[in-house]
Amino acid sequence: MATRNRTPLERVEEAIILSVLIAIVVVTVQPILNLLAISLSDPARVPGMSGMAITPDGFSVDIWKLLANHPAVQRGLMNSLFITSVGTVLNVTCTALMAWALSRKRLPFRRTLFVLILATIVFEPGIIPDYFVMRRLGLLDTYSAVIIYKMVNAWYLIILIRFFEEVPEELIEAAKLDGANAFQTFWRVVVPLAKPALATITLFYVVYHWNEFLRPMIYFNDQDMWPLQVVLRQFVVVGDKAAIVGLQAMNNYEGASQIDFKAFRAGMILFTILPVLAIYPLILRYFTKGTMSGALK
Amino acid sequence: MTKLDHKSSAAGGNGNVPNPDLLTAEIASDQWPGDEFDTPGARFRDGVREWWPYYLMLAPGLIYFALFHYLPVWEAKLAFEDLRIIGPNVWVGLKHFAQLFASPAFFEVLMNTLIISAMKIAFVFPLPIILALLLNEVRSGRFRRGVQSVIYLPHFLSWVVIAGIFIAALSPADGVINDMRDMIGLERRSFMTESGSIRWVLVWSEAWRSTGWDSLLYFAAIMSIDPALYEAAEMDGASRWQKMRYITLPGIVPTIATLFILNVGLFLNAGFDQVFNLSNDAIRDKIDIIDTYVYRLGITGGQFSLATAAGLFKGVVGMTLMLGAHFLSKRLTGRGVW
Repeated sequence: MATRNRTPLERVEEAIILSVLIAIVVVTVQPILNLLAISLSDPARVPGMSGMAITPDGFSVDIWKLLANHPAVQRGLMNSLFITSVGTVLNVTCTALMAWALSRKRLPFRRTLFVLILATIVFEPGIIPDYFVMRRLGLLDTYSAVIIYKMVNAWYLIILIRFFEEVPEELIEAAKLDGANAFQTFWRVVVPLAKPALATITLFYVVYHWNEFLRPMIYFNDQDMWPLQVVLRQFVVVGDKAAIVGLQAMNNYEGASQIDFKAFRAGMILFTILPVLAIYPLILRYFTKGTMSGALK
Repeated sequence: MTKLDHKSSAAGGNGNVPNPDLLTAEIASDQWPGDEFDTPGARFRDGVREWWPYYLMLAPGLIYFALFHYLPVWEAKLAFEDLRIIGPNVWVGLKHFAQLFASPAFFEVLMNTLIISAMKIAFVFPLPIILALLLNEVRSGRFRRGVQSVIYLPHFLSWVVIAGIFIAALSPADGVINDMRDMIGLERRSFMTESGSIRWVLVWSEAWRSTGWDSLLYFAAIMSIDPALYEAAEMDGASRWQKMRYITLPGIVPTIATLFILNVGLFLNAGFDQVFNLSNDAIRDKIDIIDTYVYRLGITGGQFSLATAAGLFKGVVGMTLMLGAHFLSKRLTGRGVW
């Protein structure tokens, strides 16, 4: 668009719009930067630190060392990584296979299956019946319960079905003529075409598993099975300070006794966010594209 | 080939000149494999031959939906039973529902749910629309993308993390909000434990988390507006405000309508994860919603039948709202919820 000279009024308008947007960015990142600053500060100076600070007061990585050596955090990390990786592989495989079959317009009983799946979005009987199903199936206190209970997300399934419906029929026919069976066609023709869509739902599922905290709390009695989110919840939300104090007695390296709850909380929150931050650039690349093309259609 | 042979032998076996009518009758009744494509048996067999690989692909997913979405519906019958440790449960009909509707606690959580949902729709729902309109006014693409790449982040953080962030930021002693209040001479307040402010904490934490990400949908809708409309308006000397009012806003009204209706459909989901992590003993009665009530009653309190009844009530009313929302949206905008 050709830009003509802007009037003074327009300049003022523009300045206001830009400042509002910058303010939104500040509100979004300041609380996170503050936690980062606290976690990297000299532990002795943390108690007096302002909530407005975004630069560390002194510098120390004691908190991060403490976190990395904390047995509950280590176990939580391993549990989270295990649940997220196994869960995501299972999610994506089952969702993709199911979506491909359901995207075939001539599939017998296609409409019936659609209605049955949509019905699960519309009506949810609640967490108590879910719990009793897990008990009946003998899955309580197993990782399977948390991995499997949302094996196929109906919304993501629908997104993938819509995508697969767009795969050109000629390609499928050509593969059939070359003697490929249904599975070979799926693996060699459909999956390569659907890579962006599959990447999108993979990231959806990763974030989903990583952020899950409720089901592990309900299904696991054993605290050693807790993923990181539940450990974080125990420390930060429930405020279980005993766990941290007990640890400080165990870790008798210099400075540990000075580490207070505030610094530990800041570090722990960031520790839990780190993997999300690590895949955030990928999310920006795939989610925004995928969601936008879906919305534009 | 076998088809032809079979037919001719059948015709020849009679030793007569085939009467055309008889011949057709004979063929129609013939069930020989491959002889006719239109018999139910043959159609079924061909269907199986063509589609069994696809049903194999569907199998894990279908088993999953049966076990973890339909079996719970069966288990929900617990709402009509008294739980027995030994022996089968006892059918008690609507006893637990009667108890539920008679209890002041349930009425309270129902009201809380409605109030919190209404506050969120009133104060959070408009924000992403405004944000998308603002982003659309930014001339520099780099600045806009920079802003966008930051504001989506909170959407991907769990409510445990966000609760941690808000507990820290709202801390009376050294949280950023109170440090700022202190600077301009206001007294420090404990927003997390005051019954007058905790619902606003829910509203603002929801806004913090979802405004950025939700603006993406509206922004995409704005991007799909025909640029020729803006060019024509500029020729006519339309101001920035007029273009926003008469082109951009009307262009995203269908998106606004669909998302608004979807929000109404989810009205009873006032946000379990959020309330669960931001709640504390001081203000629980102000923000306890149906879902947290079900959790506390059932998982913590062991009153499984009563909790199931509350959950089932929410499920049925929620289903009604969702279906109503879907068909209303389809009628108004031509686009359903799914």
